[in-house]
Amino acid sequence: MSLKLLFKDELKGFYKSNVMVFLWIGLPLVVTLFHILTPNTGDIPFSTMTALVVSTLGGTLAAIMLAVSIINEKEEHVYTLFVIRPIKRRDLILSKFLAVYTCLAIATVLALMFGLALDYFYGTLPPESMLSGTFFEFALALSMIAVSSAVGVFLGVISPSVLVGVILVIYVGNQLSALPMLSISMKLSIPAMIPQVLGGLGLSTPSMFSWITEIPGSLRFTFVIGMVLVMILLAASIAIFRKKEL
Amino acid sequence: MDKTEYMRLSSISENEPNSNNSSIVILDKISKNYNGYKVLNNVSFHIDEEDIMGYIGPNGSGKTTTIRILMGLLRNFEGRLQIEGIPVPARIEELNGMIGYLPQHVSFQRWRTVDQALKTFGRLSGLNEDILEERIREVLKRVDLSEVRHKKIVHLSGGMIQILGLAQAILHNPKFLVLDEPMASLDPENRYKVKQIIRELNRNGTTVLFSSHILSDIQDIATKIAVLNRGQIMHTGSMDTLRTRLHSTNDIDIVLSSIFKQTLDLTKIEGVKGVEYPQPNRLLVHLKDKVNMDEVSRNLQRFLMAGSYSIRSFTPYVPNLEELYVKFINGGDNQ
Repeated sequence: MSLKLLFKDELKGFYKSNVMVFLWIGLPLVVTLFHILTPNTGDIPFSTMTALVVSTLGGTLAAIMLAVSIINEKEEHVYTLFVIRPIKRRDLILSKFLAVYTCLAIATVLALMFGLALDYFYGTLPPESMLSGTFFEFALALSMIAVSSAVGVFLGVISPSVLVGVILVIYVGNQLSALPMLSISMKLSIPAMIPQVLGGLGLSTPSMFSWITEIPGSLRFTFVIGMVLVMILLAASIAIFRKKEL
Repeated sequence: MDKTEYMRLSSISENEPNSNNSSIVILDKISKNYNGYKVLNNVSFHIDEEDIMGYIGPNGSGKTTTIRILMGLLRNFEGRLQIEGIPVPARIEELNGMIGYLPQHVSFQRWRTVDQALKTFGRLSGLNEDILEERIREVLKRVDLSEVRHKKIVHLSGGMIQILGLAQAILHNPKFLVLDEPMASLDPENRYKVKQIIRELNRNGTTVLFSSHILSDIQDIATKIAVLNRGQIMHTGSMDTLRTRLHSTNDIDIVLSSIFKQTLDLTKIEGVKGVEYPQPNRLLVHLKDKVNMDEVSRNLQRFLMAGSYSIRSFTPYVPNLEELYVKFINGGDNQ
């Protein structure tokens, strides 16, 4: 109950402070600028380039937004009036994460759609492979932004000042959020190995996880590594935030 | 709380009057360490239902730490704390909506308007949507903030933010209200308003604990006081009990119409122990124990008139809280 209320409240905060406008108009504008400055991306479809640019930029934005917001609110003792009420500290953290992620995910989708439109217009990506070819880009961008957001929350919770928080986001945030991209360079899929390993042991993949094996390997890797990182970072953030004397 | 437990808590401090059935808050030997430094040392007192308790002490004496422990914000401490018989912080969630709190440094998210802040805190305190709107209107009217209801909080003055802090604390009609320095940044008009609100809430059944450095405010509205010094409770009880404890009744307060020249030695008068000069035309005469007050008073008046002084007032001295407090904190408690 309090999570829903706090989430709506955070979204309202982004709307009131014009963050949404800057993100939802800003990111597609960056894509346009990128297209003007780099009209020729070689063999790589423009939407793929857009995904990389947007996920890097959007991820950094998400991490900085969250870290700065949490550190500022901690310093100003904003949370005091929340935690004395019957709400869970976990919900304060999760609502922030979900609100920032929602805002950036929408901005990312808007920017990628814009990239796709440009590909379609210039014929750099065949219309028949538009959906299948870009699904991975979408997943990669959203996965990277989720990891960046979780990094932002974690650094916001542990950093003693805004300056330290921002420095850490730039040092650590980008590196961690790039982990889902390993699927591109490694051409390796850990989830794809799971059924093989289980099969080697004479076991079958549980039916509830069978859907994982049906998606392409690199996409699975991106998805799984993103989810695992996000869960670890959020769990650690919540555990630390619970113990903090606010 | 069972009877044995209640009896144990009733005798928690030598200084502490016995708690009774109407005690809403009981602190029992609360101690808190910060990096090896004992901020609170066996703090024990209780607050009864009808109380407005003033919590006073020098800077760094541990007032805010006590309040933060009461609110469940500091969880690691020694001792026992119960609010309405519920142990804190272990089962603090059972006190849902029962406590209102105004922190020393109240702060809101920058994007919020007064209305949005109160709506969020009202909802989080469990107020239903159907009464929330009406309750916000009522509270804003009571604290005189109706005109700024739709203004962003960042555009309000420090005093207004403090009053808004009070508004969020009383929005859900708490049974127990905790205010940490509620009048620190207020002008006299707002201080008067806050005092009126506290009295009114107390009349309507709210128990209040408030800390303040402005001792005249505590003197104005507190029905009971607790004095904290270096993490230890020095006194709990009414102002009168503190006066009785500290004040020698053999003091006379004399105000003259002209400046007193200290060449005139009043200690020559039999029964006079010493003289203080709080103001150039005001004397505080301490008399020896077991003297005939009437006789010494007559002699004093004669002596002053012989020195060509006109006496404007001549009264037994009754110290105000500030004087008692300074005396107390400086170790003037000889009992």
